[in-house]
Amino acid sequence: MNLATKKWVFLKLSSIILVPLMFWFIINFISVYDGDYSEVISFFSNKTNKFLFSIFLIFAYFFSAISISEVFEDYISNEKTKYVANRLLYISAIIIPLLTIIILLNLK
Amino acid sequence: MEDKRPLSPHINIYKWHISSLVSISHRITGIINIIAITLVCVWVSWLILGETKYDLINFFFNSFLGKFVAIGLAWSFSFQILSEIRHLIMDMGYGYELKTTRITGLMVIFGSLILTILFYLIGKNFF
Repeated sequence: MNLATKKWVFLKLSSIILVPLMFWFIINFISVYDGDYSEVISFFSNKTNKFLFSIFLIFAYFFSAISISEVFEDYISNEKTKYVANRLLYISAIIIPLLTIIILLNLK
Repeated sequence: MEDKRPLSPHINIYKWHISSLVSISHRITGIINIIAITLVCVWVSWLILGETKYDLINFFFNSFLGKFVAIGLAWSFSFQILSEIRHLIMDMGYGYELKTTRITGLMVIFGSLILTILFYLIGKNFF
């Protein structure tokens, strides 16, 4: 299996997992976004919500990183620019969810 | 030589169709969603600063602009969900006929509007 095929398989597998998580996230986001501090903190302090939100973030960034790298493939012709853009994309797709999950685990 | 490699898709050359509209919107909503999820990460991280600092976020989300952003996000997610399901069905080899692509494309466009309303009603416990 070559790299492009692997990326396609990972993209499809992550999208199958992501679709129900997107349903869960957006319904819960609508229910708490305009609530006060105690409502929002109580939502994110719940163990099940912490777990589902963390999984959602991991798959959302994983899926987006692969998808956006395909957009770079289509629109960036310069190989060096594309390499730098892909590196920045993959690094931010690891750091942003990781930091958020660490903060989330420390919420009480 | 490398800079002359043809890029795709040539969106400024081809005539617009439902399928091309859904395809480009799928990419745009995908980028909007990841920017929005990053802002959600900032929102969640902000919680650790305490209740007093959260007042600013609470004020924004209770403003007209805040509600517009939340509903816009619900639409963007709805579009992405339906379009992704359409892609998965096409990956299994179904729905490539011209008429079917038009119908499923329209289902994604109008379905995303209906799904946004449903998300809002379910989220706000109207059912």
